[in-house]
Amino acid sequence: MKLFALVICPIAVTLGACSSKPDTTDSASKHTFKVALLTPGPISDKSWNGGAYQGLMAIHDTLGAEVSHIQTKTPAEFDENFRQYGAKGFNLVFGHGFEFQDAAVRVARAYPNTVYVTTSGTSVGKNLAGVDFSFEEASYIAGLVAGRMTKSNVIGLIGGTELPPVKSSFEAFEKGAQTVNPKVKFLVSYIGNWDDASAGKEQAIAQISRGADVIMQNADAAGLGVFQAIKETKGVWIIGSNSNQNTIFPSQTLGSIVINLPRAFLLIAREVQKGNFIGHVFSLGLPEGVVEYTANPTVTSNIPVSVAATADSIQRQMSAGTFKGNVLPDSARKQPAR
Amino acid sequence: MSAVQAFLEGTIRTATPLAFAALGETVVERAGIINIGLEGAIIAGAMGGFTAAGAAGTWAGFAGAGIAGLFVAVVFAFFAIRLRADQIITGTAITLFFLGATATLYRQLYGVTGAALTSPTMPVTPIPLLSSIPVIGQPLFAQPAITYLLYVLIPCVWWCMYRTHFGLGLRASGESAKAAQAAGVPVSRIRFIAVLFGGLLGGIAGGVLVIAQAGSFAEGMSAGRGFIAIAVVVLGRWHPLGVVAAALVFAAASALQYLFQAMGWNIPYQTFLALPYVLTLLGLAGIAGKATAPAALGQWQS
Repeated sequence: MKLFALVICPIAVTLGACSSKPDTTDSASKHTFKVALLTPGPISDKSWNGGAYQGLMAIHDTLGAEVSHIQTKTPAEFDENFRQYGAKGFNLVFGHGFEFQDAAVRVARAYPNTVYVTTSGTSVGKNLAGVDFSFEEASYIAGLVAGRMTKSNVIGLIGGTELPPVKSSFEAFEKGAQTVNPKVKFLVSYIGNWDDASAGKEQAIAQISRGADVIMQNADAAGLGVFQAIKETKGVWIIGSNSNQNTIFPSQTLGSIVINLPRAFLLIAREVQKGNFIGHVFSLGLPEGVVEYTANPTVTSNIPVSVAATADSIQRQMSAGTFKGNVLPDSARKQPAR
Repeated sequence: MSAVQAFLEGTIRTATPLAFAALGETVVERAGIINIGLEGAIIAGAMGGFTAAGAAGTWAGFAGAGIAGLFVAVVFAFFAIRLRADQIITGTAITLFFLGATATLYRQLYGVTGAALTSPTMPVTPIPLLSSIPVIGQPLFAQPAITYLLYVLIPCVWWCMYRTHFGLGLRASGESAKAAQAAGVPVSRIRFIAVLFGGLLGGIAGGVLVIAQAGSFAEGMSAGRGFIAIAVVVLGRWHPLGVVAAALVFAAASALQYLFQAMGWNIPYQTFLALPYVLTLLGLAGIAGKATAPAALGQWQS
């Protein structure tokens, strides 16, 4: 906010709207810190959107911010909702997902006093930032576990739609599985949306009928249907995504790739509140404690000690920054655009 | 499990909620009313079913689903029949309202993180002998009991529509409300009953999604099935048996889509996702013969 104060104040002074000595902390105490969140789906999904809402609530509880949330329905609404919050003088607006990026770029220019952050976005500006969740590292670890646990050598992956972060997470997962089990084959299905739990279940049943015995899902609310399919089929493992989904059906869940969204949201909101926000891509992953593979403690006895140990040691290396391998296949070199 | 078996089972499962909803809408449309609010009845049924099943078991769940669907139908009937508001606009408003209302209610009841995530599910009950018929036995006769209720309902609706006095009045209301009225048919009452029946089945369709399939509620989980069901009614030419056949065609295309994706072929997944919709579009465009709607559909006087 320092940056914006420098740019805006000379103009504002001539209009008589700004004190001669701009003080951002003063204006922050006079006006409540206001934070808004746009989610692409329902916040009751126990996953991507639910985590973001918890993040918003953490900002409310920890930083005492006034918060607001809108669940968007169509991309046509993104601009309009972003504008609304800009016009209402919100300090920080999160567009929760890659899909919000273009709208944020368009709107950010019109509301320089509002910081727009798109999670998984890559565009940056004076009041525009992206967040790069390094989902790949944790996905790679999940892949290591899955590759060792499959008996049929067929692993299924089910996504909502083929968003870049979903796709690259799947690629890292596949790389991990192949590293420990070169014979493994992958079936990748997309549901086409993030809500249709019944279709999610059917996709899982179809993969199981093709021999899949480990399924990793990243489909938010529709993923609940994938869990139901697993529940009805003995001997098939599932790996959850985005939130810790180990408790949904513990007896057949290997683990979850967890984004600690509240932590990430707080981190960004603190910077904005303190006024030292700089528009850049926040790279948050294992080292920052924002993304990790969380093994399901309920099934520890079913997982060979060596498998758990490998996963643990690689995760520790990654979070210490000493891991030397590449988590993505050469064909999909990690690009900034996720 | 062979691929054919998986395909057939997937077809029946996918067709079940669709056939329930479409069968109800067929009755509604034959009475001369078009209820675009069907999607709203399905999502309300899903929510009602989820709540009731959690409290008192699967059959209570279906009762709750049906009641929720009935409630949506009463709201629609009040505006569209009693007040004679425009049916398309009323139906659209109802769909939007109930998609939002169920989401709000769900968050109120279960919190935003969805603590009560799972609902009891109706187990598969294979019918002895019938389920051991080769190929079609398992897909048709190893289903949850609610699917068998659908099997019974289909001929009942047909019989009621074509072999009873009520059915004659229903069809007359749909072809020419004025003439029917002149002949002493209680058009408004018949239409009201038809709309209630449609809501009931729409609600049960939502219940199927939760109680017989997904085992949990997700906001917006109806995912457009109400609109697909309306298209299925046209595809089935407003005849109960035709509509069930059309629901099967759509479901088969969906099941094929699931299976194709799971084959691991290197074809863009969108191609497969579009398959059911392309087929429906072709059907609606008249590949399967000319579509003639009930003459008084969506109007009051004709």
